[in-house]
Amino acid sequence: MSISRRAFIKNMAVNSAVAAAATLFPGISFGDWKKTDLPAGSIQWQKAPCRFCGTGCGLLIGTSGDRAVAVKGDPNCSVNKGLCCVKGYHSVQILYGNDRIQKALIRKNGKLVEAPIQEALDLVASKMKSTIKAHGKDSVSIYGSGQWSIADGYAASKLFKGCIGTNNVEANARLCMASAVTGFLTSFGLDEPMGCYEDMDNADVFVTWGNNMAEMHPVLFSRMLANRKSKDHVRIIDFATRTTRTSQAADRSIIFKPQTDLAVANAICYEIIRNKWVNWGFVKKHVSFHKGKTNIGYGTEDHFNFKDKAETVDFKAYKAFLEDYTPEKVEKLSGVPAKDIRYLAALYGDPGKKVTSFWCMGMNQHTRGTWINNLVYNIHLLTGKISSPGNSPFSLTGQPSACGTVREVGTLTHKLPHGVVMKEGARKMAAEIWNVPVENIDPKPTYHTVEMFRALDRGDIRFMWVQVTNPMVTMPNLNRYRAGAEKEDRFMVVSEIYPTPTTDVADVVLPSALWVEREGFFGNSERRTQHNVQMVPQPGETMCNTWQIIEVARRLGFEKQFPWSRETYIEDIWNEYTRFHDHPKHRMAPYKELKARSGVQWPFVDGKETKWRYNAKYDPAAKGEDFDFYGKPDHKAWIWLRPYEPPAESPDGEYPFWLNTGRVLEHWHTGSMTRRIPILHKAMPESYVEINPQDAADLGITNGAKVKISSRRGSKVMKASINGRGIPPKGMVFVPFFDESYLINEVTLDAFCPISKQPDYKKCAVKLERA
Amino acid sequence: MMNESDQNKDQKKIGKVFLVFAGICILALPLAVLAAFSQHTEETVSAAQPAAVQQMDFDSQGRVIFESYDNIVKDYLEGLSTERTLEEYYSRRQYLGSPPYIPHKVKDSDGAEMACLTCHAQGGWTAELKRHTPLTPHPEQTACRQCHIPETDQTLFQPNNWVSVQPPRLGRAYLPGGPPPIPHELQMRGNCIACHVGPGAVTAIRVQHPSRGNCRQCHVPDLFPGLFHRNSDY
Amino acid sequence: MPVFSYLAYPEKGAKEQLRNDLAGLDHCEVLPSDNEEVLVLVTDTPDEHIEKDLKKKLEGLKSLQSLGMTFGHTGE
Repeated sequence: MSISRRAFIKNMAVNSAVAAAATLFPGISFGDWKKTDLPAGSIQWQKAPCRFCGTGCGLLIGTSGDRAVAVKGDPNCSVNKGLCCVKGYHSVQILYGNDRIQKALIRKNGKLVEAPIQEALDLVASKMKSTIKAHGKDSVSIYGSGQWSIADGYAASKLFKGCIGTNNVEANARLCMASAVTGFLTSFGLDEPMGCYEDMDNADVFVTWGNNMAEMHPVLFSRMLANRKSKDHVRIIDFATRTTRTSQAADRSIIFKPQTDLAVANAICYEIIRNKWVNWGFVKKHVSFHKGKTNIGYGTEDHFNFKDKAETVDFKAYKAFLEDYTPEKVEKLSGVPAKDIRYLAALYGDPGKKVTSFWCMGMNQHTRGTWINNLVYNIHLLTGKISSPGNSPFSLTGQPSACGTVREVGTLTHKLPHGVVMKEGARKMAAEIWNVPVENIDPKPTYHTVEMFRALDRGDIRFMWVQVTNPMVTMPNLNRYRAGAEKEDRFMVVSEIYPTPTTDVADVVLPSALWVEREGFFGNSERRTQHNVQMVPQPGETMCNTWQIIEVARRLGFEKQFPWSRETYIEDIWNEYTRFHDHPKHRMAPYKELKARSGVQWPFVDGKETKWRYNAKYDPAAKGEDFDFYGKPDHKAWIWLRPYEPPAESPDGEYPFWLNTGRVLEHWHTGSMTRRIPILHKAMPESYVEINPQDAADLGITNGAKVKISSRRGSKVMKASINGRGIPPKGMVFVPFFDESYLINEVTLDAFCPISKQPDYKKCAVKLERA
Repeated sequence: MMNESDQNKDQKKIGKVFLVFAGICILALPLAVLAAFSQHTEETVSAAQPAAVQQMDFDSQGRVIFESYDNIVKDYLEGLSTERTLEEYYSRRQYLGSPPYIPHKVKDSDGAEMACLTCHAQGGWTAELKRHTPLTPHPEQTACRQCHIPETDQTLFQPNNWVSVQPPRLGRAYLPGGPPPIPHELQMRGNCIACHVGPGAVTAIRVQHPSRGNCRQCHVPDLFPGLFHRNSDY
Repeated sequence: MPVFSYLAYPEKGAKEQLRNDLAGLDHCEVLPSDNEEVLVLVTDTPDEHIEKDLKKKLEGLKSLQSLGMTFGHTGE
């Protein structure tokens, strides 16, 4: 604890006084927080989903008077059963930062000045009108978020796709989960995990694939630890590119070279086949084999286009394909010893062991993200370990509602709430429910996120509305996209709660209501939708994001499509939205059910949640006796032949280190909320660069010393962290991205998976110098 | 709800075991120390003792640890162990029931599952802070660092106007001398012994009768305001 | 940099008033007790001169019954 001398003396002064008081008045107390006059018994508890990660813990928010004053875990929520993490326990403090944006701001003469919110909304609508008139409907765009409440995303999609008629609707989940989505669609035809969190209580083996679950989904990790504690034989294997808290807690930590997860996954399948561990009963009935294009590029150029082509093959072709992936060959490529590959294969191949694989950003933020998702599914499909309790390839979601809003409502350029814009049937359904002419809905997708910001830079997009996300911190290769947003004749509207680098480039800032200041819905990783009522008043002129969109939509002439009243609009929107999903493969629970219960999974069929999809025992939409992968026309799950291909930019003579980026336990994403929570900031006040101790010694860098990290795109000077909570292997550095004073994305590369269009934040080449 | 009472039963069992263990320790420790000294009476006349200690072969921390064993009993018996106050207890929290931050140094290399429990599950004496460690009321949760984090910095990124409610008053029995009701939430704090008994407990709430066992037979939760009203027009 | 801490006893019933009065003074930090009629006051002034001024101001407070010093550090 570094504490100045003056602060130390003041501390002594306080302690002396308090100690004296304690002897005079036994039982005296001076708490650390400012007190209201209200006593402990005045607290009312109401449920809400946590504001942070994709685990989707159920919380009980304690309010007293008109303030939130405490938090508990909701013991009725099956996700976390009353436990939270340090962010969840202090989540209510995000409402009370002193610099909360409570009034609308309009930029005049280069400075943001306060304005009445109605004036700001008028300006937003008129700017949209004039931009569309001058440059066409595809010159306006909205960039939303996996932290959008479901109604926010639905209103955005309806306005832009249904009424205005542009597919320029994207969300930051493109940067977070897109590869998971395309992985699901290519392997199964339908999005989202087929298992549920109960798999954690049933599995015998857990493998984490490139995700630091102990810090990123801590409550789920605790469930795994509880399982291991209760049964002697349970094993946790951490398969990652660096040593983290997860590695320390695991039974085995296996380190692989970046990108070589592709090869290792294939090698595991090679071993499963060689050892005759294939579950033939399952494979013959429920699996078909396919391959796609190879040498598919990296997307670093504007207008990059890629469309895959599927070709049906057979098991023989698959077996021959895997000959390139023997454990010995893969050991040379990946650095993973052949015996460790065999060890993993044996765990997967053992018919008596239930295996759950978890992954998140390590596999999704990957230039072959779709492929690696396919390859881990392959392992589970070859062994038939899927869609049953404990056997679960589980793609974890990062954000609290990337599933609920972005994926299920479909706030991506090519999606509709049901289906895709390219399909006439889906457009007809949307047009009918949205009450718009079907010609309004454009059948051609426009831009994915990276391309949308390129379009903004080029001038093909002139107006962008950003809600609930911070792209001026999170876009890879940030220098280009910030410069693009700051160009003349680019109108940026930002709906925000605190000042951020994104509000710094805004022309209009709309003050948003936050979390329990408005009624909302989130949908978490395991297909569970959770509802909260409004619990505290909206400060100042803040306005719920959904209502902001409704206000603008009405000003654009779409009163008929946005007719709802202020009192019931969230419920009305839920009722309209769920019409899109009204069949047993996706039915959502009714509003009353969600209001009463601590989360309900979909499909919700005849009053029951479908916990394991595709398994006829648990899923009413599955026909037959055992499994029915009804997402695909052949009712089978698809094994894809996906090869190893190198990353977009690997270390070389000039830039000899890998740059890896990610999060830490204490901070959520860009820190705009968590850095304003005192205990979290005090635990983790500043970002840093993790350097391997031997590399540090070679470079003459000590712990805390300043280091300059440079890539071909940008550079940053940061303090070194050596032997901290994360230790990268030699040749790699790791930087967390929560600190807006160290915009590490100025250094990263905007290469992406050509199928999912999700950028790879985990791999680019940098050099280090003492600064 | 079933879960909680089962957990309470388990924790009471642990509590009972702890009591017995603590009892034995407290009795045995001074005896053990005295016994050790008496074995060396020939060599360890008081003036000669330092020389003997100096001659012993200690590794890096060995001497400090060895000597701190002597000091444990002395500090404890002389009341030099810095007792925990209610003020200090609340100063580590942001509201009633929030997870306290870690007020002592911790190593990053302590993994997710824990080193913490070696002291905080059954109690311990730390020479570094010269006090007894507080016990966790929920030792079954082993990923400690998921909720409890240290303070590495005293600054703020932005000031905050956070407020929360008053902590409960102490000892407010309904009748003089009666059992005070439980003024705090029981979620994750159902293990009475962990916080109310023993040298690691906050002095203001330390009970004098821990051996009675079934705390909840006399102490009931006092969380719901209001009085009984009949729903009848009669 | 003189730093002092005191136990501040309010006049009868004037605890809130005293708290507000003290919070309004420069160089003062107040820590009221939750459950007794006493407050902790910590003063941290840049030099002796301002310290003397502050002491005079404190003596003039009507809501303050008495001050008991519990810590003193005069600087250097």
